[in-house]
Amino acid sequence: MSIEIRHIGKRFGDYVALENIDLHIPTGELVALLGPSGCGKTTLLRIIAGMESADCGQVLFAGEEATHLPARERNVGFVFQHYALFRHMTVFENVAFGLRVKPRKMRPAEHEIRRRVDDLLKLVQLDWLADRYPSQLSGGQRQRIALARALAVEPRVLLLDEPFGALDTKVRKELRRWLRRLHDEMHISSVFVTHDQEEALEVADRVVVMNQGKIEQIGSPDEVYSNPASPFVYRFLGNVNVFHSRLHGAWAEVDRDSPSVDAGEAIAFVRPHDIDIERRAVAGGLEAIIQEVQVIGPRVRVELSHDAELIEVELSRERANILSLAKGQQVWIKTRKLHVFSSPLVAMEEEGSGI
Amino acid sequence: MRGRAHPQPCHRLTDAMFAPLSRRRRVLPGFGLTLGCTLVYLSLLILLPLSGLAVKASQLSFAELWEVASGERAWASYRITFGAAFLAATINACFGLIVAWVLVRYPFPGRRAIDALVDLPFALPTAVAGITLATLYAGNGWIGRHLEPLGVKIAFTPLGIVVALTFISLPFVVRTLQPVIEDIEPEVEEAAASLGASRWQTFLRVLLPGIFPALLTGFTLAFSRAIGEYGSVIFIAGNMPLISEITPLLIISKLEQYDVVGATALAMVMLSISFVMLLAVNALQWWAANRHRPGAAGSGR
Repeated sequence: MSIEIRHIGKRFGDYVALENIDLHIPTGELVALLGPSGCGKTTLLRIIAGMESADCGQVLFAGEEATHLPARERNVGFVFQHYALFRHMTVFENVAFGLRVKPRKMRPAEHEIRRRVDDLLKLVQLDWLADRYPSQLSGGQRQRIALARALAVEPRVLLLDEPFGALDTKVRKELRRWLRRLHDEMHISSVFVTHDQEEALEVADRVVVMNQGKIEQIGSPDEVYSNPASPFVYRFLGNVNVFHSRLHGAWAEVDRDSPSVDAGEAIAFVRPHDIDIERRAVAGGLEAIIQEVQVIGPRVRVELSHDAELIEVELSRERANILSLAKGQQVWIKTRKLHVFSSPLVAMEEEGSGI
Repeated sequence: MRGRAHPQPCHRLTDAMFAPLSRRRRVLPGFGLTLGCTLVYLSLLILLPLSGLAVKASQLSFAELWEVASGERAWASYRITFGAAFLAATINACFGLIVAWVLVRYPFPGRRAIDALVDLPFALPTAVAGITLATLYAGNGWIGRHLEPLGVKIAFTPLGIVVALTFISLPFVVRTLQPVIEDIEPEVEEAAASLGASRWQTFLRVLLPGIFPALLTGFTLAFSRAIGEYGSVIFIAGNMPLISEITPLLIISKLEQYDVVGATALAMVMLSISFVMLLAVNALQWWAANRHRPGAAGSGR
């Protein structure tokens, strides 16, 4: 079922949580709402679920007005960050809850409930835990049960609020892939909230980047990563080096293809892995001194200083071995790809984002 | 040789038996000291007076005791004491739950003042409470005036006893429930709503099972307190033998006639009934609390 959000606004006292949000989520798509904490992403999700009311604007489900529909009539599945399982019920009863509270006429027979719950528990690969209580499960298991519980009522939309936020890295990675598979099997629309860019880029069909109650960019994971619409998106989706081109005239030389902007008004963004280090002087290269060399797993992070500014560069291990870098060395750096934004745009958002 | 060797294994056996108690190191120190304190304290405060009571009562033969304790007036007083206390505790279980719920869940102006109000029955001298209630509910009182024409008499009837007991036992239910209700995550209610449950279903199936053990505790506390209440009741009850006379009053009146043994007999009966009832409620409470615990016996689907 498609979801249409029109001009949604929400305030908490003086604080503007959401401002004029427009978003269309077509049927079958898995959408990530990505942003720093306090950007309004969870509020937006809760408005879709009917757990929060919008001050203005509309929510439409499959083209039908749903703005003032109470949560229990929306037929959405909601998964909470901290699972919100019913403590005093077994796993089986947790999953069966949505079926048991249906009005008598619509409630399936007991054997039908049993069959459906068993199927769901198999789907989340936890059928062997049916008789346990939530307190006996691990975090990852609890979240899968919470998901099975949400799916039991055959929701038209699945909403997940930082579903993997409370789990450790390994379990989180596993569950991500598993959620993606599950979504493809169930043919429903899903929206999940996250502040983890890696998670959003890996799982989602489309990423909605939010900041301070507004949508910054909507696009495929590749689009938002490769072509960020704003400096905020660029910064939020990974580490970045910022060069004030007025100070570094040399950089304009390097990047001849980038849109020509007046040197005084542009700021260049370069990702650490888009910079290469050379031991010898290269044309258009920038001289720098190595401050620190850190090996992080398969990657090597090098911190360099150029004049008063710090530059972060990420190299593969092989490349770093060939260069045999050491602290204090003088090297030349060269950028492969950079992004230029006009500086008023950057200045405008530097006040609040803090990234 | 044999005779000498014999005690040794025996010794070792007792060693092995007591080792877990005395020698095993505990992670939390101070067990011995605190347990000793607890036992001494409880003995001095509770066990000693109660055993004194039992000793005094044992001066009577069982037949004599039965005669004193099963008189018509005594039976009527048991009925009124336990009946009114049970009723009061039940009323408080319902309304105390609502009060606790409102105080925890909804922020509103004056919440703190109301919260403090709940404790008043604890602090007020019970006689003051009794006199106040009697004045209010008497035929010419503020409330009694409007109830009298409807044929409802409260002051100086058994109903008055229920009112007094309800008043003094309210804080027990509210104060027991508040922390438990605070513990319920609002998310659980939202989850139930998103799964299609109505408010009533959410309350019955999701919230109440979590609150129930605490509700029982509150009920038990209120009930026990009401059984022993004396001060407020005598002012509002009218104290008519066979109709509105509570057992504690009967005990006092026996004491005033220097019938110490008779008073002790009644006290023993009250003590026994209270003990059995509290034991039963505690068992129920244990069952309610453990029913949904992992590893509880008979926890089927």
